[in-house]
Amino acid sequence: MLSETPDNETSDAARWARLIEAVAVRRDREAFAALFRHFAPRIKTFMKRSGASEQLADELAQEALFAVWSKASLFDPGSAGAAAWIFTIARNLRIDALRRQKRTPTSDTSETELEFQRDEGPLPDAGVAASEIEARVRDALSALPDEQMRVIELSFFHETAHAEIAKMLDIPLGTVKSRLRLAMARLRSLLDDFS
Amino acid sequence: MTVHHHPPDELLAMFAAGTLDLGQHIGVATHLVGCPKCRAVVRAMEHVGGAMLTGLPPTAMSDGALEAMERRLDETSRTSIPERRRGPAFRDVPGLPDFLNSYPDSPWRWIAPKVHLRPIRLPEPSATRVFLLKSSPGTRMIEHTHTGLEMTCVLSGSFVHAGGHFGPGDFDFGDGSVDHDVRINSTEDCICLVAMQGDLKLNGMIGRLLQPLIRM
Ligand SMILES: [Zn+2]
Repeated sequence: MLSETPDNETSDAARWARLIEAVAVRRDREAFAALFRHFAPRIKTFMKRSGASEQLADELAQEALFAVWSKASLFDPGSAGAAAWIFTIARNLRIDALRRQKRTPTSDTSETELEFQRDEGPLPDAGVAASEIEARVRDALSALPDEQMRVIELSFFHETAHAEIAKMLDIPLGTVKSRLRLAMARLRSLLDDFS
Repeated sequence: MTVHHHPPDELLAMFAAGTLDLGQHIGVATHLVGCPKCRAVVRAMEHVGGAMLTGLPPTAMSDGALEAMERRLDETSRTSIPERRRGPAFRDVPGLPDFLNSYPDSPWRWIAPKVHLRPIRLPEPSATRVFLLKSSPGTRMIEHTHTGLEMTCVLSGSFVHAGGHFGPGDFDFGDGSVDHDVRINSTEDCICLVAMQGDLKLNGMIGRLLQPLIRM
């Protein structure tokens, strides 16, 4: 029933969303376990790549899944992407962890979450519902060629240097830069109907 | 409010990825308050983050991690998001992100004829300094940008320089290569949030901070 290898991206996204909803509405342990088994090991990789030790990465991955459990009711299955939502949780925990190294021990680390709070509810000037924006965002992303998506991912989310990306993808450095520029410009034009 | 000047897309992507330092984060967040278009770009970038996350190779969790988590869930009822006490800190200034209201308040200080500055003290060390700048109508100044990146978000009023007209919601981004002759061209005060990268001492005088920025 809860297969570990969904067949394509769309059913994937819908399935994660259903699982989060089950956690929110019914406190469904089986659904939570499925989310844990899929996301925790990947968040652990994300944390390790961000410089966390094996143990810290493990703890942060557990923290992230605990947050999925406690905040599940804040996830809107009709709008936000499940993976995107879990990514933001992991991202915020990563920032918190980096801050704990810098700040005084008394500082409040739940602050990160507030710092990213912005697009709650309908956007007053646009008069567009959040779910419409999410739909538009998904359309825009699926219209983006894989190769452009990949460069955005590597450049911003893996913080890979352009020269390194060129090597990985076996393309000239100039192509990396132009592909990135193209990708961002295209994305913006696809999203442009908003304001 | 019609926004004409937006942050570069790279900044929005870095914002979504969580790799900006806090000062720069505040600069971009302030723009996002008034710009649905850029909020959509950030959302799109978060979806890219989601795709990145699911595409990562898994690293095995420690033994018994799931079981330990399940025991923890047994002990926890549904947790609500803690409601933080928000001070009035910057509520008198329109268009700022709400989280700034938990930062310590600070008064406006006179720094030059017709120009006042109000520092925003960050809860962690940041390479980027953040402050509000209020200039009276007609003020002219040389915006002498720093060695690092500088973001200016207009909150109210407007100014004009060679790069164009900047009104509420607009984002002016300088990389330190250009000096602009800035003129406040609104009939009301022009209030901006400035996030400025620079190698300035934390305990330095505010005048010393601003000296290289503004010359009357
Ligand atoms: Zn914008």
